[in-house]
Amino acid sequence: MSTSLSGPGSAMQAPGRGPVRTGLPRKSRNARNHAPITATGLVVKVILLGLVAGIAIWAAFPLIEAKMWVGLGILAATTAGLFYLYLTRRHIPAKYLVPGTLFLLAFQVIPILYTATTAFTNFGDGHRGSKDDAIVAIQTSSVKQVPGSTEYSLSIATKGDPQTGSLAFLLSDAKTKEVFAGDAGGLRKLDAGQVTVSPTGKITAADGYTVLNFGQASGRSKEITDLVVPTSGGAIRSNGLSRAYEGRAVRAYDAGCDCIKDNETGKTWTADEKTGAFVAADGERLAQGWKVNVGFKNFSRVLTDPNISRPFFGTLLWNFAFAIGSTGLTFLLGMAVALALHSPRMRGTNLYRVLLILPYAMPSFAMLLVWRDMFNTDFGLINNLFGLGVDWFGEAWTARAAVLLVQLWLGYPYMFLVATGALQAIPRELTEATSVDGASPWQSFRAVTLPLLLVALSPLLISSFAYNFNNVNAILLTTEGGPFPADNPTNGATDLLITYTYRLAFGAQGAEYGLATTVSVFIFAIVAVVATISFRRTRKLEEVYS
Amino acid sequence: MRIRTAGVVAVLGLALAASGCGNSGSDKPAAKESAKATGGKLVIWADDKRTAALKPFAEEFGKENGVTVEVQAVSKDLQTNFVTASQQGSGPDVVVGAHDWIGNLVQNGAIDPVQLAAEQKSAFNETAIKAVTFNGQLYGVPYATENVALIRNTELAPEAPKTIEDLVAAGKKLKAEKKASEILCLQSGQNGDAYHIYPLYTSGGGYLFGTTANGDYDPKDLGVGKPESIAAFQKIAKLGEKGDGALKRSITGENSIATFTGKKCAFLVSGPWAIADAKKANIKYDISPVPGFAGGKEAQPFVGVQAFYVAAKGKNKALAQEFVTNYVTKPELAVALYKAEPRPPALTAAFDQVKGEDPDLAKFSEAGKNGQVLPAIPAMAAIWDPFGKAEAAVIGGADPAKTITAAGKTIAGQIK
Amino acid sequence: MTTYADAPVATRTVKGKPKGRWFAQVGWRHAVGVLAVAFSLFPILFVLSAALNPLGTLSSTELLPTGASFENFTNLFDKTAFAHWFLNSLLLAGVASFASIFLSALAAYAFSRMRFAGRRVGLLTLLLIQMFPQFLCIVAIFLIFTTVTDLWPAIGFNSPWGLFLLYMGTALGANTWLMKGFFDTLPKELDESATMDGASHAQVFFRIILPLVAPILAVTGLLAFIGSINEFIIANVFLTQPESKTLAVGMFGLVAGERNNNFGMFAAGTLLTAIPTVLVFQLLQRYIVSGLTAGAVKG
Repeated sequence: MSTSLSGPGSAMQAPGRGPVRTGLPRKSRNARNHAPITATGLVVKVILLGLVAGIAIWAAFPLIEAKMWVGLGILAATTAGLFYLYLTRRHIPAKYLVPGTLFLLAFQVIPILYTATTAFTNFGDGHRGSKDDAIVAIQTSSVKQVPGSTEYSLSIATKGDPQTGSLAFLLSDAKTKEVFAGDAGGLRKLDAGQVTVSPTGKITAADGYTVLNFGQASGRSKEITDLVVPTSGGAIRSNGLSRAYEGRAVRAYDAGCDCIKDNETGKTWTADEKTGAFVAADGERLAQGWKVNVGFKNFSRVLTDPNISRPFFGTLLWNFAFAIGSTGLTFLLGMAVALALHSPRMRGTNLYRVLLILPYAMPSFAMLLVWRDMFNTDFGLINNLFGLGVDWFGEAWTARAAVLLVQLWLGYPYMFLVATGALQAIPRELTEATSVDGASPWQSFRAVTLPLLLVALSPLLISSFAYNFNNVNAILLTTEGGPFPADNPTNGATDLLITYTYRLAFGAQGAEYGLATTVSVFIFAIVAVVATISFRRTRKLEEVYS
Repeated sequence: MRIRTAGVVAVLGLALAASGCGNSGSDKPAAKESAKATGGKLVIWADDKRTAALKPFAEEFGKENGVTVEVQAVSKDLQTNFVTASQQGSGPDVVVGAHDWIGNLVQNGAIDPVQLAAEQKSAFNETAIKAVTFNGQLYGVPYATENVALIRNTELAPEAPKTIEDLVAAGKKLKAEKKASEILCLQSGQNGDAYHIYPLYTSGGGYLFGTTANGDYDPKDLGVGKPESIAAFQKIAKLGEKGDGALKRSITGENSIATFTGKKCAFLVSGPWAIADAKKANIKYDISPVPGFAGGKEAQPFVGVQAFYVAAKGKNKALAQEFVTNYVTKPELAVALYKAEPRPPALTAAFDQVKGEDPDLAKFSEAGKNGQVLPAIPAMAAIWDPFGKAEAAVIGGADPAKTITAAGKTIAGQIK
Repeated sequence: MTTYADAPVATRTVKGKPKGRWFAQVGWRHAVGVLAVAFSLFPILFVLSAALNPLGTLSSTELLPTGASFENFTNLFDKTAFAHWFLNSLLLAGVASFASIFLSALAAYAFSRMRFAGRRVGLLTLLLIQMFPQFLCIVAIFLIFTTVTDLWPAIGFNSPWGLFLLYMGTALGANTWLMKGFFDTLPKELDESATMDGASHAQVFFRIILPLVAPILAVTGLLAFIGSINEFIIANVFLTQPESKTLAVGMFGLVAGERNNNFGMFAAGTLLTAIPTVLVFQLLQRYIVSGLTAGAVKG
């Protein structure tokens, strides 16, 4: 199976690798040859489409077996669409966009859309599944051993074939040495002469039954768990594969009143479809609830809950400062270092570059922990080195500065690399031309290098801003949002919108995904507006050469 | 143009047929094989450390019984991922975790109660059984307990302090003599650490939740924000940065044990997990209960229990129950798990067996004797964060009354 | 070390010039470089110190190692499946970064060179998708892959292929913007003249654009490689077999254990994690610093 799976990987690599490697010298000649369709092109196309077809067929069999016709339809349509797209001469942009877009749709867009819909539900701990799930959970967790009932040794047996024969429990009572056979019909006493009992009290053989070993029995695990042998006091259930007990579900669902009844106390909990929980008359709620639609409740909570909305603007302001600061500082430092190293006269640039990207090569969560330690008041390097006694993470402004410094350290190698790449892409003739014209290095930088760098990097700056706006790790692994005012443990000085609202959504009695998603939707809306506006301004940058 | 397309179609047809045949051919045996494997497969999820310890025993269980056992490690967010995976039907059959997960696992219908025979139950340490009992049902089979104690460097502090005041006096003396730079290593960090400060909180008279008639914790009776808790934090504040300087926010989870093993403080509040480092650093140490305030109540540490749970939506529940109730309850396994990670076994027989060779174990267990079982009710999740931050603020010199009242209000707002 | 073709010429011109001139032209660059390297390296020095410290603490008061031993490194290989993690990460990140830059290069070509309806909306959508917090989507990913695992176990949970597919989902969002920006800086006349000569769009892409943007492909490839090596949230739920884990997940397991953390082994692992990245960088270095300008002028 996995062999045919290597398909997508190698398929994607092949065309990329071939032409790049065979590289420059040949290409210019070929391009001028007016060859409309090259043989390689055709072969590659056939191989790729063949692979697509192969994968589609491979994927179709399990779908057919599982009778998932919708899935099969989507598969067929996608495959047909791909064939059409790559055999027609039209839709050229689509030919380039579709491969990545397919993956994007399947593994990003669909999960996001699905998740976004939970904003309208109470989805979260205690409200994850359906009502049926909740009822099953309530009933099974209320099964109690009947007081004073017998503990049996259990052997799983079948009548006939171990894999298909009907199941029965062979039970022996260690105290009275009595032996029984039980199935859905009830319990039946067996003759001691009919069975062989091991010294541990387990029945190892019985006339008319095939005793299963653990391996065989565990293959029918579900049936064994579902098999209950009715008795007067309750029912005998298996407890694993070698013991059985007489138990009774204390709580049961009654469809008539749509409620859960407790047989011992007589208390009832009625289903409340609005909150997705069973609630008693005295207000007591059963822990096991289910997922229901709550409409815009989460949205109105975000807007009206004073705990959420009160510190909103202060946090938003810092959030912007953090995102802009992180992006801007890393860009400036990264570009400055890249410019400094970008000179044909520099030697050892290779070594510099390797050392400079090291911060980026280390797992960032590890380095965030290291930095947190370095800012420690008494033991941290920064205070020790400079002889300071600053309580870095204890004061609002020092904490903010510290967080930004850490971000700078973590992020500037990225900008450095990208700027290095971009500088290489700027034809040296351009800068040389300006210096011949007598411009100072600064002037030529302003006039030529910077604009071209911005063409290449401004989209990146926007996306870096968007990323940092929600950079949960940068905060949670360093200050955790702190310092917090003594009288308000929910909103700290370095909290971003996302860290602060998640504290509310996940800090309560279990996680509230519905609320967390709602908050994300709000943040998403804010960043989307900012990004769209700045994106509009990049339009003229894009057209620099045209 | 036509010819080209025809060629493409022809070649495609061939490729298609070839791949199709190849696949359908290889598909069938694979399908059969997987059917056989699901026949007797038990999947266990644990964190990385326990996975390593469990693996040999799980495999042995598999060999003895002719089934396949897979122990898988979830490195982060095991509890959340277990709940999510279970709900979708891709979870394991057995999960290993701390007992304070039970409340959340039960409210999500992710685990089933386990039925232990009376004589099986009595083989366990009572506290451990109490910890895994929730709403009157037993939800897991415990295998180890853990709690903090006071570990002291006997070269610096030969005598175990009877009260916190004694400890502070001894620590200050060492500091004045330049033998140590810190009075006490009790980790707090900028955002506090409710788990480690808890003995002092109880000694000062504070409590988290009251108990109902049947001994369960009652989320409606919240102790944080009550006058007792303020009194407790006033005592803690005296030990803080503006007071004795015994409690500091700069002592964190990362540096607390290291500072102790670096001989920079004579007293460390930590658990069995700190011992390996102390031994490695050749520290002469002794273990005693965490002392309380002079004239205060007993200092009660939290007692946590590690347990095995049967997943409610596992594919092989019968086998899971068999493993958890009849295999995990064997002392040999408990002893082996202890050897992989030295925490006091919950099975009395196993504990007695290892106690002889490891005196530290008995001392830790002694220190936890009067401990309080870490509440497993879902409401506990609302405590950790605000409580810890209040602790840090008080240690840093904030007004205890104002701080704790605010924390109490925040917590109460989160509990439904 | 220098790979510039004109380096010897440059050295010759520098020789014999006064020191002040040298500093103004080259020396200050070294000063900046050394400062930046110092800034970059000093936190890493702690990691080194913790890795060599047999007690394995991450206590930053000791900048220099208190004890030098390789115990943490040997433990890493003896007590964990580190070698497996390393190999898994290398393979996965290698294949995934290669495939993902290819996918995003395709898309960036379309976004940069072609004008079609929905182009700017598409770009903006790519950006916005990135902003949705990924860990909220874990539930949906479980939902999808539970079905996938049932139907096609080969690409389901615990299979590197499943993880690979998921990473492909993020390929467009992560790199298309970066690449498009670079594609925009290439003069349009290049491909226009090629088209005049009768080259098809595929030929323009593979034979003209791709070689010209080799430095960018190298940079993006490196970033994608680092990104996959460090990816954690999804890999954590996807790979639960100890031998199938990636470095990021396995290493997190070392410190994520409840209250007793092994920072020593963790630090050792962190250092080793950087090795493949440095090697890949070395490999790509020549693309990053060479060739392009010459190509652009000749084209």
